[in-house]
Amino acid sequence: MIEYYTFKHRGADEEYRDEVFLRLVPNLTVAIFNGSKLDSPKSQALLFSEILSSDEGSKGIDYLNGIFDECLDEESEYLILRVESKGIESIRRGSVCAKIVRYGQISLLPNGYFGLSSDDRIVCATSNFFKYLNDEGILADALVAGTCDDWMNMMVRRISDQTQLKCGNLSAVTLKLNS
Amino acid sequence: MYDFSLLTDETVRAIIIGLILFAVAFVSFVVVALFTLFKTNIYKTRHKEKINLFCDVAYFHEKGKREDQEDSIYISPMDKLEHTGLVAACSDGMGGLLNGEVVSKFVTDSLREHYPYQFDAQADNAAIITDISNQVYEQYHLGAGATLVMVHILDDYMNFYSLGDSNIILIRNNRATLLNQKQNYVTLMIRKLAEGGLDTTDAYKDSRAKGLIDFVGNLNCKVQMTTRPLRLIENDIIIVSSDGVTDSMPLNRIVNHIHFDQNATGIARTIKYGVRSRKNPRQDNYSAVVIKMKRSFI
Repeated sequence: MIEYYTFKHRGADEEYRDEVFLRLVPNLTVAIFNGSKLDSPKSQALLFSEILSSDEGSKGIDYLNGIFDECLDEESEYLILRVESKGIESIRRGSVCAKIVRYGQISLLPNGYFGLSSDDRIVCATSNFFKYLNDEGILADALVAGTCDDWMNMMVRRISDQTQLKCGNLSAVTLKLNS
Repeated sequence: MYDFSLLTDETVRAIIIGLILFAVAFVSFVVVALFTLFKTNIYKTRHKEKINLFCDVAYFHEKGKREDQEDSIYISPMDKLEHTGLVAACSDGMGGLLNGEVVSKFVTDSLREHYPYQFDAQADNAAIITDISNQVYEQYHLGAGATLVMVHILDDYMNFYSLGDSNIILIRNNRATLLNQKQNYVTLMIRKLAEGGLDTTDAYKDSRAKGLIDFVGNLNCKVQMTTRPLRLIENDIIIVSSDGVTDSMPLNRIVNHIHFDQNATGIARTIKYGVRSRKNPRQDNYSAVVIKMKRSFI
């Protein structure tokens, strides 16, 4: 079973320039789009969403990445994660990234296929979300939290302690694979 | 000067043989010592991950400007580190309530009575803490309470348990991180405001929001704990402390004060004098257990 929790916050900015997408069939696909470097992020986010929800969105992740490369602005940043039966496939462009908590340690999720074991936890987020967190804090919260929303709320508290959530757009997804 | 010509031939021969034997023994000793040192270094380099960490521990326990000492600490027996690990805890009697010193001491005494703890039985250990909390509740009915932070380290792993707003700090790569989250109303307010898409300035404005939502002395308290252990690495520094330490010495200041070649005693001494040097006229009790993780061949 896969548990996930999504967090989106404008962070006192006038507009929301990120987007978080989830697609549940045929496998859970999580995608985070970051348009902070774009002049018109809304149109690019819509395009991103349209491709993901189309038939092509269910195709292989490399194929999907090829389409995004072709259609999206060069400055678009995104991360796509697809949960397979025994692992996770990910691809990212720019500074959006995912971190995995496993065996009491935290590391950056590499591009490509990555085998998973039960109780692994993953957080994917924009660089602005990670900017106010350090690995030890993310790790401690992951090990303490019973659920994905607990984990997210703990990280949000850490960001809030430094910025009162007036730090620009924040977008993140926490994922937990239950045994 | 000695006149060796006066010695008999047998004596000279005996002296020469003695010198030769001494030289042979000395050279053998040097060769064996160098070989051992060399092999040890190679082993250490090749099997660094296989050599367990050990804990270098120190503590301080100061009254500050208060009349009573409401902090209490507990460190498990050091001779059983290999089998049961190290348990270190700090309990801080809650300000504004009665019998702070009695409750915090009761907490650490109870922890001592329950030693040893199973490392992988986090839920059972948390249940022990909840039981201690319920005993305090039965006695005082929320008229007294204490915070509690506790770490359990076995080999390269650590579990931690927390109730209230004391601190478990991890210093790694020159960066300090508060591992446990403070259980106060600020946390609840932040959650509500964030869910509503608002900024959280209001959560920090109200000083009453720092009031605790859970502590030892609350009925059926919910202990914050690691469900799986955190992996430690060489030179990690863990500080288990009351808030009297961090109120006077924020995390970044602690990092700036300590040196990374210091042992636990040196770090504890540096923090203690760092707090004292603030000369806070209302300095709260300040106590901490400092643990430095080291790797040793022996």
